[in-house]
Amino acid sequence: MPRGSEERVGNLRPRAKVWAGFRRAGLASGALATLALGAGSACAAASLTVMVTRSDGTPVPGAVVLLHGPPGSRPAPPATYVVDQVNLTFTPDLTVVPVGSSVKFPNSDAVSHQVYSFSPARRFQLPLYRGTPYAPVKFDQAGIVTLGCNIHDDMIAYLVVTDAEWSGLTEADGTWAVANLPAGEFRVEVWHPRMREVATTLEKHLAIADATAGKLDVHLMRPLRPEPLGHKPHSWSDY
Amino acid sequence: MRTLVAFALALASAAAQAADALDLQVDLRLVASDGRTSYLDGGLGKLRFDEGHDGLQIGRLRAAWSGDFGERWNARADVSLWRWDDATRFDITETYLEFRPYPADGWRSRVKVGASYLPVSLEHRAAGWTNPYLISSSAINTWVGEELRTIGAEYSLEWLGTRQGSDFDAGIETAVFGWNDPAGVLIASRGWTLHDRQTMLFDKMGQPGQGPVPGRVLFKEIDGRPGYWAGAHVRYLDRVEMRYLHYDNRADPEAYDPGINDYAWLTRFDSLGLRLETSGGWTFIAQWLAGNTSIEPETGYEVWDFDSTFLLVSKAWGPHRISARADWFGTDHVQTSWPPPVEEDGTGFTAGYSYDFDDHWHCAVEFLQIRSDVAARMHLGEPSRAHERQLQLQVRYAR
Repeated sequence: MPRGSEERVGNLRPRAKVWAGFRRAGLASGALATLALGAGSACAAASLTVMVTRSDGTPVPGAVVLLHGPPGSRPAPPATYVVDQVNLTFTPDLTVVPVGSSVKFPNSDAVSHQVYSFSPARRFQLPLYRGTPYAPVKFDQAGIVTLGCNIHDDMIAYLVVTDAEWSGLTEADGTWAVANLPAGEFRVEVWHPRMREVATTLEKHLAIADATAGKLDVHLMRPLRPEPLGHKPHSWSDY
Repeated sequence: MRTLVAFALALASAAAQAADALDLQVDLRLVASDGRTSYLDGGLGKLRFDEGHDGLQIGRLRAAWSGDFGERWNARADVSLWRWDDATRFDITETYLEFRPYPADGWRSRVKVGASYLPVSLEHRAAGWTNPYLISSSAINTWVGEELRTIGAEYSLEWLGTRQGSDFDAGIETAVFGWNDPAGVLIASRGWTLHDRQTMLFDKMGQPGQGPVPGRVLFKEIDGRPGYWAGAHVRYLDRVEMRYLHYDNRADPEAYDPGINDYAWLTRFDSLGLRLETSGGWTFIAQWLAGNTSIEPETGYEVWDFDSTFLLVSKAWGPHRISARADWFGTDHVQTSWPPPVEEDGTGFTAGYSYDFDDHWHCAVEFLQIRSDVAARMHLGEPSRAHERQLQLQVRYAR
């Protein structure tokens, strides 16, 4: 696996009958991606497994993978999602939602929260509340939305609003797999909240032929930010 | 000031809506001490509990109310009792109105009006300005809790970098305040101490008519000149925080208030602190504070320099925590017209263990030892040097 320098990234020779084009954003970020395609099963549909690893080769769970399909791919339908607030923590703290989806922000804590985002993709604020007094918030523009609570600065969560047809988070082994893909040209984006790569998201174009099982390896070149220390005891406060 | 506080409370309670909260806390201690007569009882002993206060003692009884009203306003009041025979019993440590507008493009402002703590301490992180690491505070932050309070208006501006993909958050804060003219009298006449008792707004420190600190009133406007402080902080993720603060109460050292028998003490200091936390449950805190205070009675000009440093290390695992802290402190009476000088040097060593049974019940044990050389003890007919030790067992219920 070529690793370590951008020159070697540029010299990558994609195997099999694929075209592997690196978007400049992905290259400049210093992250590496390699694509390998193997013989598929008898059925015509293709599949893809994306594996995200740290610079030391260990898997990165919880990374967002967005897969944009060839023209004509069926868009992921918008839906209503829930980001709860429990024990002064957003739950879940990372959600991928299709463009046009709505998100409910109930507050299950005994204390009030004041949820906000000043991310360009969606600016909003929910005045101090407990329970579920507000209608779901609609997200019409693709992008990363950082959620915070104006009362409890330790609370942070992310929504990845996307027009990708397929999306998900990598598992504990760092992989995310999708099957029943049509043949054609795809664009893969990878993002993680603790990622320190120069580009906001890592992008890669790839072509997948009928009946192939593709595997895309994404190596982060910079260490992830350390995990948050975990929420503090309830009685702690800011002074 | 009474009017201001009463106004704040009345406004807050009148406007408060359903979203309010009441915290209650009962903190009892079992104490063994060989300390000299405490500064609380007219002595120059450095411990909160001296050898006459062994056995079962009140640590703190506390009630705090917090209410949100409107979209962006919050009001709170924190009331405590530290000892049944204090001059004032239940009294206010903090009360203020806070305006919390939403962040805009990564920046956020906050405004506080009322009486609140200065953003100096990196130890005091728990409700009621409590130190979660050890029962007793460092010399620096004991003094902050004793003599300093922002009674006025505070503005802070925060850059929320971690909300924008940065590893850092940073902010600046400043305040204009009054009613802090006696600040400095304790550090000059008594020196540093290490304990957890916070002075309340209408409190009197020490017993009236007794000893070097005869029932001092600490929050009073004497000269009509507002003071200010200005500070800055920067945080690296949730791992490292650094704080700086410059304080100047701009007191007129010639001003005298016969009502409280005290001068306006011109007090200025700088404080710098660093806190580091690791994923293994370790916390390291280092803080330094240095400044001077002066008064100018008709008999001459009196100036004291003061400084203190501490290092704290703490390790938490599950409900357990062990902590230790070393304190170094001193005052120098650098200018005086009635020698000998009233000054001191000392060190403190504190070690403790605490256990959280659940969200409500907490217990802790702490050993505190202070070695000090206080010149003013000779006026009391005592040796200037003292080696005082105090062992406390704390049981606290909070809801």
